[in-house]
Amino acid sequence: MTQTATLERPLSGRIASLELTHALTQTLYREARLLDDEDFAGWVKMLAEDLHYHMPGIETRYRRDKTNQISDLTRMAYYNDNLDEIKKRLSRLETGTAWSEDPATRYTHIITNVEVEYTETDGEYRVFSNFYAYRNRNERDEDSLVGNRVDIWRETGGAFQLVRRRIILKHNVMLSKNMNIYL
Amino acid sequence: MRLERIGREPEYSRYMDLKEGWLDRRIFSDAEIYEEELYRIFARSWLFVAHESQLPNAGDFLTTHMGEDGVIVTRQPDGSIKVFLNSCPHRGNKVCFADAGNTRRFVCNYHGWAFDTAGELKGMHEEYCYDDGDIDRRKNGLKQVAKVSSYKGLVFATFADDLPSLDAWLGDFRWYLDMILDNEDGGTELIGGCIKTVMNANWKFGVENFIGDAYHAGWTHDSGCRSMNNGQPFPPIDMENSYHASVNGHGWEFGTEGVGDLFLLGRPKVLDYYNKIRPKMAERLGEMRSQIFGSVASASIFPNVSFLPGISTFRQWQPKGPMQFELKTWVIVNKAMPDDIKDEVTKGVMQTFGPGGTFEMDDGENWENCTTVNRGVVTRHEKLHYRCGISRQIEHDTLPGIVYRGQYNDANQRGFYQRWLDMMEAKSLGALPLRPEPRLTGVAETRDLPGLFAL
Repeated sequence: MTQTATLERPLSGRIASLELTHALTQTLYREARLLDDEDFAGWVKMLAEDLHYHMPGIETRYRRDKTNQISDLTRMAYYNDNLDEIKKRLSRLETGTAWSEDPATRYTHIITNVEVEYTETDGEYRVFSNFYAYRNRNERDEDSLVGNRVDIWRETGGAFQLVRRRIILKHNVMLSKNMNIYL
Repeated sequence: MRLERIGREPEYSRYMDLKEGWLDRRIFSDAEIYEEELYRIFARSWLFVAHESQLPNAGDFLTTHMGEDGVIVTRQPDGSIKVFLNSCPHRGNKVCFADAGNTRRFVCNYHGWAFDTAGELKGMHEEYCYDDGDIDRRKNGLKQVAKVSSYKGLVFATFADDLPSLDAWLGDFRWYLDMILDNEDGGTELIGGCIKTVMNANWKFGVENFIGDAYHAGWTHDSGCRSMNNGQPFPPIDMENSYHASVNGHGWEFGTEGVGDLFLLGRPKVLDYYNKIRPKMAERLGEMRSQIFGSVASASIFPNVSFLPGISTFRQWQPKGPMQFELKTWVIVNKAMPDDIKDEVTKGVMQTFGPGGTFEMDDGENWENCTTVNRGVVTRHEKLHYRCGISRQIEHDTLPGIVYRGQYNDANQRGFYQRWLDMMEAKSLGALPLRPEPRLTGVAETRDLPGLFAL
């Protein structure tokens, strides 16, 4: 079996065709819509069996500090999940007793700055994007989460599945009480 | 260091009656009471500032807060640890903006005043502008805390030079602390990094939740428990063989079934690991502590550190005003664990008690609303009920501290607020009451003390 493409960008990634770029951009928008609609069953169908979904916790450090905060998977992370682990988190919503999700949180994911590149693996594409995710719940509880993502999407049977995602949130202190959202 | 404020009489006892079991809600919202907490509690307590493992090498530093006072914690060339204010004595600017790192100097961005890792002033930009007699470098270092001390990897500091020793402060709580800090050769370490969140809630709600509130777990966290364990509900509580233990305002609530918290972590490999080392843990800590460890349990160290023995989240509730705290979270593991077990623990903690964790997500909203409703003037004058299990105190041959039977109990919370009251009213820290009289004496290693190991 061929090696899954890595998130690390080669010196020059070859920009994907207009058609492919359009298809993957639309895929990101569709994913965002499913998350806004809390259609998690639909979202899980977009995730590959060998998913790695990673959102490291980033400390503020001086420029000279070479600590690898991005891809060292032994460090603290909001998410460092495979597909089963994501499904476990999601299963909380199926219990009917996730009190702090009822009434529901209102989400909007805005996805921008989409770039699509070919990778060294056929049928796998590296996709860069930025997100602005807005949450509002109850009366006036609100916050905004902003950051970058780099993904690997795999084409299978005419659809795309998410294989790798690394999310870099721009917060140091996350300015809200929890992360009841997927980015 | 004296930070007494003139004209304020200690009269905090009117905010609670712990024999009756009620608290006045104003202690969770009132701005003046909060300000006094900073003076009377945070400026006068032993406060957790670091785990030794975060500063392995000379020059390693981290920044944190003691109350709302920003401090730098550094490892010295001789291996000791110093703690000083993160504020330049010249104009007060912060001198360090990083969460952590390694350095030889802290240099202020404003006028280039440079301090070594001991906090001593070593030089300034354009130093010739100071004439003889203008500045005494030795008196213009970064302001040191009064004392630094550690217990089995946890480093504490205090601004109060008249505060009794850390061992006296922790007292018999060390017997309990050893279950998480000393259950295996090599002690503990924190996993790299720190995740911080903000809750619009009073800091005490976090502390009291971990100090004794097993009661909320089966209700608040029903969804979390079921999600981590294939739909299974919270393990049943054995009210006969579970306890609250309170020492000097610290508290540990626990069962004795040995597996409850490990079950909630949802990582079978971690449960297997602890079951494998449990016989050695029994040799080390005695049969009873080896059975308590891993049970449904939670704990807090007065005033603002909490952890879950077995689940391994380790956290500090940093006050940011009467209606806000910053929660700093780490993962604590045994150094001796193989890397794959450390990874399992870390993933398990982040999936349960990270900000996106299946348990953590249901806590914040409760604490926020317990706090913010007190904006209402009528609401804030209502009392809160803290009477659960008030008549279940026992004497226990093995368990030190003020012990209550039954894990569903408000006993440790009452113990915490008793200490809160002690600190708010104490004129002299040397006269702080012992709650209770300690069984352990001196600074002897608690795991080596005889007579405490019988089940």
